[in-house]
Amino acid sequence: MPTVEIDPDELRYLTGYDEKDDAELKDDLFGLGLEFEGETDDGDFELEFAPDRLDRLSVEGVARSLRYQYGDDRGVYVPSTNDAEWTIRVEDVPEDRPYVTGAIVRGLDMDDAALESLIQVQEKLHATMGRQRAKGAIGVHDLTMLKGETLKQDDDSAKSITYTGVDADDETMVPLEGDQELTLREVLEVHHIGQDYADLVADYESMPAIYDEIGLFSFPPVVNGRRTEVTADSRDLFIEMTGTDQWTVDKMLNIVCYALDARGGKVEEVDVEYTDDAPVTPDAGSDLVRPDLVSKTKTVAHGDIETMLGVDLDEHDVVDLIERAGMDAEPTETDDGTAAYRVEVPPYRVDVLHPVDLIDDVGRAYGFNELEPRYPDVSTVGGRHERSRLEDAVRDRLVGQGFEDLLNFHLIDEEQNYERLNVPQPEPSSGERANGDNREQGSDALGGGEAVTIEQPYSEDFTMVRSWALPSIMMVLENNTHRAYPQDLAEVGFSAHVDESENTNVAERRTVAAALCHAGASYEDAKAALRALVDAFDKDLETPATEHPTFISGRTASVVVDGEEVGVIGEVHPEVIVEHDIELPVAAFEFDLAALQ
Amino acid sequence: MKLPQAQVAVLEAASADEQRTIDRIAEAADLKPETATRAAFELDDAGLLEVTERTTSDVELTEEAERYVEAGLPELRLYEAAVEAGADEEPVQMGQVIGASGLEGDAVDIALSNYARKGYGEIDSGELTADPEADPDADDEATALDALAEGAGAYARETALEDLDNRGLIEQTETVIRSVTLTDDGVTELMAGIETAETVGQVTSEMLTSGEWQDVEFAEYNVEADAERVVPGRKHALREMAERVTDVLVGMGFQEMQGPHVDADFWINDCLFMPQDHPARNHWDRFALDTPEAIDELPADLVDAVESAHREGVGPDGEGYHSPWDLDFAKALALRGHTTSLTARHLSGEAMGDLEPPQRFFSIEKAYRNDTLDATHLLEFFQIEGWVMAEDLSVRDLMGTFTEFYEQFGITDIEFKPHYNPYTEPSFELFGRHPETGEMIEIGNSGIFRPEMLEPLGVDCDVMAWGLALERLFMLATGAEDIRDVHGTLVDLEFLREEEVTY
Repeated sequence: MPTVEIDPDELRYLTGYDEKDDAELKDDLFGLGLEFEGETDDGDFELEFAPDRLDRLSVEGVARSLRYQYGDDRGVYVPSTNDAEWTIRVEDVPEDRPYVTGAIVRGLDMDDAALESLIQVQEKLHATMGRQRAKGAIGVHDLTMLKGETLKQDDDSAKSITYTGVDADDETMVPLEGDQELTLREVLEVHHIGQDYADLVADYESMPAIYDEIGLFSFPPVVNGRRTEVTADSRDLFIEMTGTDQWTVDKMLNIVCYALDARGGKVEEVDVEYTDDAPVTPDAGSDLVRPDLVSKTKTVAHGDIETMLGVDLDEHDVVDLIERAGMDAEPTETDDGTAAYRVEVPPYRVDVLHPVDLIDDVGRAYGFNELEPRYPDVSTVGGRHERSRLEDAVRDRLVGQGFEDLLNFHLIDEEQNYERLNVPQPEPSSGERANGDNREQGSDALGGGEAVTIEQPYSEDFTMVRSWALPSIMMVLENNTHRAYPQDLAEVGFSAHVDESENTNVAERRTVAAALCHAGASYEDAKAALRALVDAFDKDLETPATEHPTFISGRTASVVVDGEEVGVIGEVHPEVIVEHDIELPVAAFEFDLAALQ
Repeated sequence: MKLPQAQVAVLEAASADEQRTIDRIAEAADLKPETATRAAFELDDAGLLEVTERTTSDVELTEEAERYVEAGLPELRLYEAAVEAGADEEPVQMGQVIGASGLEGDAVDIALSNYARKGYGEIDSGELTADPEADPDADDEATALDALAEGAGAYARETALEDLDNRGLIEQTETVIRSVTLTDDGVTELMAGIETAETVGQVTSEMLTSGEWQDVEFAEYNVEADAERVVPGRKHALREMAERVTDVLVGMGFQEMQGPHVDADFWINDCLFMPQDHPARNHWDRFALDTPEAIDELPADLVDAVESAHREGVGPDGEGYHSPWDLDFAKALALRGHTTSLTARHLSGEAMGDLEPPQRFFSIEKAYRNDTLDATHLLEFFQIEGWVMAEDLSVRDLMGTFTEFYEQFGITDIEFKPHYNPYTEPSFELFGRHPETGEMIEIGNSGIFRPEMLEPLGVDCDVMAWGLALERLFMLATGAEDIRDVHGTLVDLEFLREEEVTY
């Protein structure tokens, strides 16, 4: 779970509760669902947050939620804004990143704490909604360092910057944390931030770039220019966000604007002008005014709230709870005449997708732990799945016959699954297959099926799903040679191999595997155990001689149950035994569980 | 009177006038000494014989001591060499004396440490002096050693014996010698004549069928003696826990689900209203397959409904995610990251046809996570998944169900911490009091499925669900600290053999 770092002194200052001690604050934060994880070296609280309330990614947002919780604030708050002076012109931007939004915030009295909080909210928004900047990337600039192009000759108060696409080699900038002029290609190749985010623009046909009259000052989503860097002395900020989706960048912008508003900044609108040259945007040729600090309204039925919480509430209570959640509610009726509320949801909320989310807010404001648990008055008949009953019956038989039951990993690597058991590893059948092409998938030998493989395994020991269970049992024997014998081990488990006749292209099989490892363990012992097991299920067992590379030739048989070949039994070849550093004979069998059905 | 054969033989070998040792009796009666001893005590109990005990101590030389008897104690050899080298007049280099003494290896250290202790001289800064007054011929330890070697140990001094014992040169053992004499009653009974009763060891088939068992006396066993340790077959400890949970859930009216481990992301995530660009669905966290890559078929109507929920949301006031949605991604195969894919398959009707409320379902099946392995996290674990489908379910029903479930495992005082899951609202992390330590611990995750999940699946009533890892429950219940010892191929058989059973 992600964490956010909050300075408790800032929180006291912003909530207006100077006298709250750390313990009280922690309790209040837990009430919001922000769990205290620890303290940083600077004495900040490290809080774990669930990634729905992204408006709580800053100390300002957390303080706002606390004030609602304390009852100091009620209902929706929307900051007032000044009219736009600045315009972002969108021309010829890369099709992969066509959307932009922006806002200006003036008159900030920034200090180190405020700057730190601003940096954190950017980072955390990048990590969450911004999907590591792929979906939305934030650039914050010192407005005084920007020189807007004058839009109208007679009105120098109307200024613009331009979001466009450029060739990676054509333009240069001095990036943040850099000290020389670099082309955008050089930024991606040699600058440390550029290298981190180079993948994001690798497939773009042109590089996203933002210009003012002086030149290029931002290279989203990679890095800003050094010229417009924000410091603790900055008072007026220009915020731009680019991304793959207008809604996402607008919402990220709202969260940042609310945080800066709480710092005493004055939000000023920015015109976003999608010119005719802007690519495939639904807003091409149209103007937007941003930030979009408009509440949305959703209707929630009174009965739905009562049903979901399981309590009776009167209208007054519901309105009160909704206001305490930082929203406004107006009683109304739905189309079919039932009581409902029109709920106004503030523009920083990104998690309200459906009226059910409002019920959750009502529940939180009410206090879920105030609800009395009750066992639902619902009658159903329980039961086990047939296959799980069969598995269990087989396991019981095997245990009764003296086997120790195992529960092994389903994941394994190719060497363990094939090579160390002497089974040839099948060639992967990747690539298109012509119709009627019946190339063999793996070998016929049990365990020789084509591997179901993992795309990006973390560990080289777990790269595929095992195609049979005997390799796992051999590994357990190998890891327990210091333990007392006999080691008669069995597993009723899972195995899988590629099978194109299945919808998932994977045949998933339950398998019954057993190995006897002790002085004198022989084919006859294994067969006796197999016979006892198969007899118990009233099936007919035959064991015609066969060959299998894991077993000693001449001491290997097919397991044939009710006339169908379902597995193999034999004495494990000394080569395989020695390979596993075992110094006692091993006799084993493995067959398909379905045969006992 | 009738007595077992061994007792008769001991009685007959004993005398009323003379104490005879058990060894002597055993020899005369042709019995093993332990048999004779047992018989003697039984006769003593019966008042026919009197057993008296005395203790003698015995001293034996160790191998090391035997060598010193031959060659002399190392410190004495060192002293002789030192005197030879003139160390009784002025200090001599230690190395020179040791060389001359012929001592080697451990014997050098032994010589040096005893040399000063017994006052043969001083060792200082690598030089050695010898006390001219010392008399090696009067060495108590050497004298005692010689006496013991000649079998005259009784004359050795007690302090010398203690020193030798400390040096590990002797082993002292105490022996109890038991002797018996016949009592008057014993004599009387012998005069009257005693018959031998036959005793038997093993009960044989022949004995049973012939009726011979009626006339025999059963030899007594030492019933307290340890028996051989056998390794019985037993069910895997974690499996036992799974069975226990299954019993509880079936008892609460839940029916078991099963389904594919390898499944399309559609069933694993899209049906759960997980946006395709959700961080948990990126290539690192998903257990994506290399071979094979994609499912062949998905139900077309369902795909449309799910895509629409993702894009537009459901209901008049619903809105979707502002995220891309791609059918190819939905068809991509992965090892399921949670068994909620089974729930999606069941709710949609894909698994066993359309379900009418009310229903309760559960599964205890493997889920997979592409991560590193450590003491509390495995790449594959058993997820306990359960859900209840009914009309008008409330948060209170959810709380009641889980309170009931966890109480079966001694976990009480359940707390519900509001939480966020993409596919449930409201959502709760469950905390409960640990039955042993009393701590509050996280025990699961729960919620009521969102309309954006249920509506495309064709469910028009409420469904509440919860999940937790079986391994977590196991570790809580058993105190196991490293899950790798329990689950998987790294398992320690000894752990499985010794783990207390779960029931």
